This record gives sequence, C-alpha cells and structure tokens, in this order.
Amino acid sequence: MNRTWKRAAGMLLAAAALAAAAIWSGWLPSPAGGGREAQPRMIFVIKSVDPTIEFWQVLQDGIREAATEFGVRVEIVGPDNETDVEGQIRILEQAASARPDAIVLAATELNRLVPAARQAVEAGVELLTVDSGIEPDLASTMIATDNVAAGKAAGSELLSMLDRPSQVAIISFVRNSASQLDREEGVKSVLAAHPDIELLGTYYSEGYEQRAYETTLALLRAHPNLRGIVGLNEPSSVGAGRAIEEAGLVNQVKLIGFDSSDAEVRQLERGVMHATVIQKPFQMGYLSVKTALETLRGKRVPQRIDTGSVVVTKRNMYEEENQKLLFPFVRRQLP
Amino acid sequence: MRALMHPTRPRSIHANLSLAFALLILVTVLIMSIISYYLSKDAVQETTQAYTTEFMKQVNANMKTYVSGMEHIAGLVAGSRQVHDYLSADRYPSLVEEKQAREGVYEYLHAMVATRNDIVSVSLFGEDGRFVSGSRELEVNPYVELRDMNWYRQAKAAKGENVISSSHVQPIFLDRHVWVVSMSRALYGKETGEPLGVFLVDLNFSVMNDMFADIQLGNRGYLFVVDNSGKLVYHPQQQLVYSGLKTEQIDKVLELGRGSFTIGEGSARRMYTVQDSGFGWKLVGVSYVSELVGNKERMGMSFFALGAVCILISIVLSVILSNRLIRPITQLQRYMKEVEKGNFDIQVPVPFSIEIGRLARAFNLMVERIKELMVRVVREEELKRTSELNALQMQINPHFLYNTLDSIVWMAESGKDKEVVLMTSSLAKLFRASIGKGEALVTVQAELDHIAHYLTIQKMRYKRKLDYVIEADDSILDCLTIRVVLQPLVENAIYHGIKNKRGPGMIRITAAETGGDLTLRVEDDGIGVDGARMRALLEGREDSGPKGGVGVRNVHDRLRLQFGSRYGLSFEGGPGEGTIVTVRLPKRALGGEELS
Repeated sequence: MNRTWKRAAGMLLAAAALAAAAIWSGWLPSPAGGGREAQPRMIFVIKSVDPTIEFWQVLQDGIREAATEFGVRVEIVGPDNETDVEGQIRILEQAASARPDAIVLAATELNRLVPAARQAVEAGVELLTVDSGIEPDLASTMIATDNVAAGKAAGSELLSMLDRPSQVAIISFVRNSASQLDREEGVKSVLAAHPDIELLGTYYSEGYEQRAYETTLALLRAHPNLRGIVGLNEPSSVGAGRAIEEAGLVNQVKLIGFDSSDAEVRQLERGVMHATVIQKPFQMGYLSVKTALETLRGKRVPQRIDTGSVVVTKRNMYEEENQKLLFPFVRRQLP
Repeated sequence: MRALMHPTRPRSIHANLSLAFALLILVTVLIMSIISYYLSKDAVQETTQAYTTEFMKQVNANMKTYVSGMEHIAGLVAGSRQVHDYLSADRYPSLVEEKQAREGVYEYLHAMVATRNDIVSVSLFGEDGRFVSGSRELEVNPYVELRDMNWYRQAKAAKGENVISSSHVQPIFLDRHVWVVSMSRALYGKETGEPLGVFLVDLNFSVMNDMFADIQLGNRGYLFVVDNSGKLVYHPQQQLVYSGLKTEQIDKVLELGRGSFTIGEGSARRMYTVQDSGFGWKLVGVSYVSELVGNKERMGMSFFALGAVCILISIVLSVILSNRLIRPITQLQRYMKEVEKGNFDIQVPVPFSIEIGRLARAFNLMVERIKELMVRVVREEELKRTSELNALQMQINPHFLYNTLDSIVWMAESGKDKEVVLMTSSLAKLFRASIGKGEALVTVQAELDHIAHYLTIQKMRYKRKLDYVIEADDSILDCLTIRVVLQPLVENAIYHGIKNKRGPGMIRITAAETGGDLTLRVEDDGIGVDGARMRALLEGREDSGPKGGVGVRNVHDRLRLQFGSRYGLSFEGGPGEGTIVTVRLPKRALGGEELS
C-alpha cells in the first residue's frame, strides 16, 4: 500500500509539473518577442564626443532613440577631437577588452585603426562601422552615407548653375579619409564628363576653417576664371564661403558645401553658398543600432547600408523635411 | 506511472482518496488561477489604458497652458489702443514722434516677453514694413521674404483669428534659427477695417520638446503631436518618419479625432491614445501592448508560483486527510487478518467515526458469535459421537441376545424345528438390518422391516402375551429416518408396559405424514408410565430413569442432533392408560431434499 501511495504521489507531482510547464511556456513570450532576452550590449566608438559638434550629437540621439526602442544597452565613447586618431585607437582597444556583443566604429582614419579593430573581431565581438569605415574592411557591415553618391549630387548641383567654360576647385579636409576620398571621386566623376570644365585640383584644409579660407582666397586670386568650388566638409565649405565674400565674388563663384552649421545656414541665406549636401546622422545612429541587433540575431544584412543625403538650397531650406536636418534639434543636456 | 496506464487496476482506498483530493484541488486551483489571471490581466490593461488617458490629459493640459499663454498675449495686443494707433498712423510729423510711438509699443511688447521665459519673441509687422519687436536685439532677416512665411500668409487668410503653426525654425530674424511654435494674427483697423499688419508670438519649442521627450510610456512607448494638417509638431523619430524609414499612423489619428485604437502584430502591437488639444493639435500616446504583456508575464509568474504552492499544500493535505480517514479501516483490516489466522479472542477498539464504528461493533459481534458457534459445534459433534456409540450398544443388547438364544435352544430341544428356523433367520435379519451398511439414515421401509424382525422374535418368546400391528402409508416408505429409532421404544413398551400387565398386550406401530412432517407412533396398552417423569427424562432433567430410559433418551438426542430441536419424541398417556410415543422427523425422501 505504501508503494501504491508513493506512486500516486509521484504521478501527481509529475502531473502538476507538466501542467506548470505547459502554463509556463504559454506565458513566456517567444525569444523573438524581445522582452525577456538578455539585453545586448553595444559600444559605439565615434569620432568625437564634443557636445558642440552637432553631427555627432545628432548621431548619438539616433543611437539612444534606437536603444530605447529595441531595448539595447549602449555606451558611447570617443575622443574629443575628430583628428585624435591615437586617442581613438586607445579607446577602441579598451572597448574591445570590455567584450561587448557588438562594437560600432566611426573610424577617424582608414588604416591605423585596423589592428585595434582586428583585436575586437578576434575576441568575438561583432564589428560594424558607421559613417567612416576602415581598410581592409573587417566590419560585417557599414552604415554610412553613400559618399560617392553624395559627391555626385554635389557635382551635379554645381554643374546645373555653373557658367562655362570655367575652372573648378575642391576643398577637402584630411588626406586618406575614406569619406572624403569617396566624395571627391563622386564630384570628379560628374565633372569629368564635361571638357569645358577644368578641375584645378583638390586642396586640403586639414579640417580647419581658417586654412580653407586662406587656401580659397589664394586660389581665387591666382585663378580669375575659378567659377565653382565644392567644400567637402563643414569647415572647408564655410572657410571657402568666407573667402568668396571677402573677395567680393558672391554669385560669381558658385559654392557647394557639405554638412550644416549656423555659419553655413547664414551663407545659404545670404546667397554665398548655393547648396549644401546634408547627411542624415540621426538615421546613421538609429540604423547602426538596428543593424547591429539584426546581425547579432543572425539575420543577413547587406555589406553597406546607405543612409542617404539631401541637397539643400536656399529655396528649400525651410521646408519641413529639411528643417530637422539643417537645424538638428539637439535635446538640451541636463546639467 | 503504471497505475495511470491501467486505470482498472485495483488501488488502495488511500491512494484513491489522495488522488481524488489532489486532483480536485489541482483542478480547482488551475481554474481559479486561470480565471483570476484573465480577470486581473483585463483589469491591468484597463487600468493602464485609463492611466495613459489620464496621463495624456495632464500633458495636454500642460501643453495648453503654453498655448493659452500665447493666446492671451495675442488677445492683449489685438485689443491694444497703442498698437492700433502706432500701426494705423499714416505718417508721423517728426522722426522723434515716430520714435516715441515706437518706443511705447516696444515697452508694451517687451513687458510681455520679459515676464515669460518660454516666449522667444513678440513682434509686430506692419503693412508698410514697420517692425517692432519686444526684444531689442532682433532684426528682420533681409534675406527672407516676410510674405513667404507660412505663419504670415495663414494669419492673413484667417482674417483676425489666431493661427497656430506647427513646430518650425523661425527664419524671420537675422542670425537666429530657433525652433518655435508661432502664433500669428492679422490686425485690422478698429473703425476702418483696413489691414494694419501681422502680430507674431514665438514660443520656444524646446520647452515643449523637453516636456514631450521626458514622457515615458513604459520602456518603449512614446508620445507624438500632430497638427490638423497632418504635420508632425513633435515626434521622437521625426527624421525617420520624414525619410520613410518609419511610418506613423497619422491618417488614422486624424480620422479618429480622439479615443484610442490598437494596431500592429506581435511585439510591435501598439495602443494609440489620441487627445484633442482643442486648438488643432492632436496629442498621441503610443504604448506597446507587449509591455503590458511584460506586466502580464510577471503576473502570470506569480499566479503560477501561487498555484504551485497551493498544489503542493493540497498534496500534503490530501495525504494527511486520507491517512486519517483510512487509519481505522487499516486497523480493522489488521484485526481481520488476526481472525483469519484463527485468533477469535480479540476485540477491535471502536473508533470515533460513525460508519467505521458501526463496522467495528458489527465485526466484534460477529467474532463473538463465530466463537460461540464454534464451541457449540465442537460440543454437538462430541455428543453425536457418544450418542451413536450408545445406539450401537443398544442394538446389541446382550440380555436380548441371551434370551433369544435361550429361546432357540429351548425350541430346538422341544423339536420345534420350524420355529427355530424362523427365529434364527429373524435374528440374523435383525442384526443385518441394524448394522446395515454403516449409513446414518435408512428408509422408513427398512426401519419397519427391522422392527418387524424384532417383534417376530419377541412374539415367539411371549406367545399370546404379545400382539402387534404395523401400519404404514405407502407414500412415506421411501422417506428417511435415522437407524434404530423404533427398537428402543418397542423394547420399552414390552418391558415396562405389557410385561407387567395382566393378560395379553397389544403394540401398534404406525408411520404416517402429519402436518408436513413424518410421524412414527408406538402405541401400547400396557400399564402406562408416569408421563411427567418421561417428559422430565426427555428434557434431560432426570438422567437415570427406569431401565430402558437411557435408550429412549438416546433416541431423542439423536433425533434432535440430526434434525434440529423441533424434532424428537413426545409422550402421551399415564399410569393405567397405556402409552403413545410419537417420533417426529422432517419428511425427506430417499436421495432427495426435504419434501414440502
């Protein structure tokens, strides 16, 4: 009788456990549902965390927005200055040793970050790049503006307003930056089709507005036929604009810039700058989180994801869609 | 487990009870849990919905205070004499006067800006290009055209009504690109109705933006604001919406006006709660249903834990309960085993419960009765054995044998060969019949033959002194009786009735059916006996009667042992009357059961 009882008790417990398991599994959401799954951890190594640089602030906004939406733990690190390659290498090494699920890198330099990036990949960290990639490309995917396309857009815009025959110059920033090389290529590819347009060459501002100003001023003086200038980033564009104003050549020399800033907006309003190609840093930030998450979940993602660019002119600069890009509304930081 | 697979297999009551209890509780707990889970789930969802709606109302109220602040300012300015005078004056006599009037309006507007830090600017744009702002540092941006400004055109179109814009960058001021919400209003001359210009109030949008951005609806939920033309005033992912990476349910929101709806599937399922601000904007709260599910999950877990605890308790309780119920039965079972082994000297302690108590008492009675019966059976068996021994002795009464043999000798000496042959053969038959084949019961016929042989011998001895008749119904000749019933009775009649009588005596033996029973009667007309003494002898009160009394008593006892106490002998008659002895037995046919 005792044995019968034990068997009955065992049976009951088993039945209870079974029922419980059924209920449990019913209550639990599927892993794809999110919620219960351990939050993935990602480290973003960006070019600059300087709160006055709008581009990176907006990109950070995009990252945070996506992190909230998808339930990802993110950490955003980077040097203060975009030109501090050594600093970024150190930061990337630290990030790799922290072994997050993914690292998203916006490389300040094409080649020098590769060893640190390799270290991360070899540690089993999923590596993605945003805005600027590395060579050789170790990242599983890159989320960036298609800079060749952006360069082409800038070139086409210039072409549409240029008197011919004429001379054209490109004011770039740092040598050997992937994004600048692509933009330059884009611009050149458009202009090369027109023999009546002579490209004087590519000049470097090293990221300094003053340098761009001086270079442009010298170019304007040396080449009276210079009718078009493309600035490949914000300081290069603004510096070039200042030089054109200084030389009294507004409207005579067409300026196409890149990115946006108060100074650029003012130049656009005054007609010094005729158009600017704007990237979408919010999308970059947002999509880099989303894509990293998809990669971690084993979904196939394309090698490159283009976040697109927009050509903004004086005419359309106050249109609803462009306002947010041109005047990125950075949330007031809490003290 | 095997017990489950064989439901017909017998199980102990204990297991059955435990199983029943536990199943009952399990099912109850499950049903209760599921019901209460769903009830609370609905309650939670309703509460969340009500909370969201209430919360949205609060946000709406906050938002409206900003807007009503602007409306208040617009109202004041529109009604201001000073403003009207300044704008409607065609021409001022001197620059000083114009500057004075301008200064007055400036002071008036400045007071409004200064008191409100959420107001970026309060400005007047006259028809003829006059411009006054509440902030002295503001200049009109020469690179933009006033008449291209949306707020300006809409104010003109609204003809004196307040117009509120969506959030936008205000380009009208030089070197300023502030995100604002604008309220504009066209002003007209009080008497003439001629257009005077447009009044503009800009609210710093960051005030609202911060308010909206800080709002959390769960972990993933958010809030957005749309104006009645479908433009987004605020959306945390406005850029994604513009670039088409995200779609928002703007059409549905505008269509609904106010209330709530749910859209999407799975983890993307969201609930939209729409609030109408009353001035053209719609405030929309978006909360993820799966976050309510998150709550639901936790709730489910606690219900599960509770259920598991209840089930565990129920199992323990059912064991204890069924154990208590079963204990007296198992005790009883233990005692029964003892009885099975043959130990009748036990008494089960009577337990408290009524049913089992009755059972125990009945069991005790039964054991007692069995004990009694067994004693009786043992005694009766013993008695039977001694009686049969006595009967055997009776048959071969030596005196009878000597007397008979003496008679034979005497007859042989007298040369009465014929008589010798008859007597000897009768004696031989008598003995054969009385010994028989050893069986206890014989037919009436055999018994009557036996007594006939006996009486033949006695008749030869007593000659004319003794006469006898044997009468029997043919129908009962095959009925059964115990052996040697009549011989002791006849012997008794001869030796105690007829022998001492003067003159010849008559013995009548009859066998008949009376009232369903079989009766054998031995009647004599002898001197009779004391009936009372005979009855006392039969009832066992007097064991040593006259000679032959032992034989009669033995017949009586054997009858009763064989057929039960209903049967036996009875006497009639008294001294000088003769005696009738009646043997009563059940009527049973040879090879059959008792005949009714």
